[in-house]
Amino acid sequence: MTVAIDQSMAIRHRRAWSSRVLAVSEPWLYASPAVILLSAILLVPLAIGISYAFRDIQLLDPMSGGYVGLSHFSEIWNDANFWNALRNTLQWTVVSVILQFVFGLILALMLNRPFPGRAVVQALVFLPWAVPAFLSGLNWAWLFNPVVGPIPHWMVALGLASTPENILSDPSHALWGPIIAIVWWGIPFFAITLLAALQSIPKDIYEAAEIDGAGPLQRFASITVPFLAPTIAITLLLRAVWISNSADLIVVMTKGGPADSTQIVASYIFTQAFQRLDFGYASAIAVVLLVILLVYSALLIFVRQKLIKAG
Amino acid sequence: MAAIDITDVHKSFGKVPVLKGVDIAIASGEFVVLVGPSGCGKSTLLRLIAGLEEMSAGEIRIGGRVVNDLPPKDRDIAMVFQSYALYPHMTVAGNMSYSLKLKRTPREVIADAVTSAGAKLGLGLLQERKPRELSGGQRQRVAMGRAIVRKPKAFLFDEPLSNLDARLREQMRFEIKKLHRELGATSVYVTHDQIEAMTMADRIVALNGGIIQQVGTPLELYDDPANIFVAGFIGSPAMNFLEGNVLPGPGGTGISVGGQTLCRLSMPLAGSAQSKVTVGIRPERVMLAGDTSGLQAQVVLVEPTGLGTVLHLELAGQFLKLFTTERPALKIGDTAGVKVDSADLRFFDAATGQRIRVAG
Ligand SMILES: Nc1ncnc2c1ncn2[C@@H]1O[C@H](COP(=O)(O)OP(=O)(O)OP(=O)(O)O)[C@@H](O)[C@H]1O
Ligand SMILES: [Mg+2]
Repeated sequence: MTVAIDQSMAIRHRRAWSSRVLAVSEPWLYASPAVILLSAILLVPLAIGISYAFRDIQLLDPMSGGYVGLSHFSEIWNDANFWNALRNTLQWTVVSVILQFVFGLILALMLNRPFPGRAVVQALVFLPWAVPAFLSGLNWAWLFNPVVGPIPHWMVALGLASTPENILSDPSHALWGPIIAIVWWGIPFFAITLLAALQSIPKDIYEAAEIDGAGPLQRFASITVPFLAPTIAITLLLRAVWISNSADLIVVMTKGGPADSTQIVASYIFTQAFQRLDFGYASAIAVVLLVILLVYSALLIFVRQKLIKAG
Repeated sequence: MAAIDITDVHKSFGKVPVLKGVDIAIASGEFVVLVGPSGCGKSTLLRLIAGLEEMSAGEIRIGGRVVNDLPPKDRDIAMVFQSYALYPHMTVAGNMSYSLKLKRTPREVIADAVTSAGAKLGLGLLQERKPRELSGGQRQRVAMGRAIVRKPKAFLFDEPLSNLDARLREQMRFEIKKLHRELGATSVYVTHDQIEAMTMADRIVALNGGIIQQVGTPLELYDDPANIFVAGFIGSPAMNFLEGNVLPGPGGTGISVGGQTLCRLSMPLAGSAQSKVTVGIRPERVMLAGDTSGLQAQVVLVEPTGLGTVLHLELAGQFLKLFTTERPALKIGDTAGVKVDSADLRFFDAATGQRIRVAG
């Protein structure tokens, strides 16, 4: 009797255990195609790319490919060009983002009030956004070129320069060339986002404030600004990541020159990889940039949570 | 406190006329309710008084002063919006004190005003909350508080209770009236709810299609409507309208509905040459005869309301509602005898809808 009972209990036990395993793994089984696909597309290339940072990979050297540990990183630490590029990245990002934001906000505020022909102006204003960055880089490079472009001659006419020079070949001012191009190109982004945010503010709140005696500036300060603040914070932070990472205008307009004066980290990676063909070193810099941006993104998410809670 | 005089005000949006010549004289301290169906121009008129909209023609005076060209902030009025339009980033206290801060009122005065307004409206414990942390009714009170701290010459309300549930609406109706009695400020109150209009108004202005239909006390509009619009709009359940034939005769003017004689008037209808007339009668004035005498009508629907019963009747192809506080033992399909008193009948021109009075 007792033996039989023990046996049946053991069987029940075993069955219970296997069904529990099944229950736990069931959702994973359903999710597995997506998990496998995502890791194949996202994680594997990332892992391979990061692994290059620890290997000596020179495209023109068939003997290369060996594991070099952290030596690329110590090289970066002592690479004056890298530090220069990092400084430039900071200047490039901060100046471009702020200028894009200021002009974008002004544009959004102007487009938010009705006037005849508003639809047409709105469409025109958003045009730069539709121009490929590469094309706008070429366009601005020509505009700054005294042989084909008008800008240097205008500068002379305005008394800002004594002779028509190409700003892109002046090491102390060259970074302003790509900055102007990316600001021109990026204003619509801010204008669209901020205009959408402005249009979501209920009109009757402005009317209530008007009746309460608030003038235009007071209404801007106590209604518009608090309403826009979360949008502004998030777009500024997101835009900063994007701009710090975008090297296309710089590569097209100056190739990082003259004398590395317009080299940002992203364009420096490009130069290392495709001009010096040193993929290992380029990957190591990319990893450093990745870490910097990850830290920044963590900060961004933190700020976002704060804003959501406050807003 | 100030009188508001509205003289021949017109307003068009583009080519679309919305207000077509509105005249109202609102006495100082009066509580005037603007009623009318959706889209009749009530909000537009209120916004013209507030200065949020520019009028196409006419004149508005507040306290004797023409305000046509004054911006809203210089008109010294307060407005309560349907959506409340609270400042979402300010606390309850911040919302209420905003206008005083803009006027650079001393801090102690502001604190006093906010505290007393908060106490009046039962917002004492909510002063530090943000609007989104409040219920609909509490937001409504904050909107009221924001209006009263300023001690304006006049209050403008645009359907302030329409977002509240029925019970809360009843309570706020009472509180707004109480506040009005305490403050005695001139108030213009817009609603499309005729019960709000009836219960709150000193005088009702009935508006339809941008034209004033009638101005008067609630009971004047109820008992003595100027036209079929006012008669049908005020009152619930609504007034019955029957198509009647006028039969002049030696013993007086007879009115018949569907072949049955409704009543016999000793005096003729004023200026009536027509043979057709629309007869209006309030459901509570239609009586059950108690036997098979009177007009014969079929019971179509029985609606018990608790307070009484609404009987929907069919009388020779026309529908008629009857309200009684009794609970008659009638079922759908039964035939009921119905009678009316000719003094309770209101006659309207079948073509224009204007009231036709009994001569004499
Ligand atoms: N800014 C505007 N531009 C064009 N037409 C408008 C504007 N504001 C209101 N109208 C029109 O004017 C008419 C009256 O609008 P109003 O808001 O005064 O109606 P209302 O009586 O308040 O209605 P409701 O009870 O629905 O609030 C409507 O036909 C509306 O379409
Ligand atoms: Mg309205």
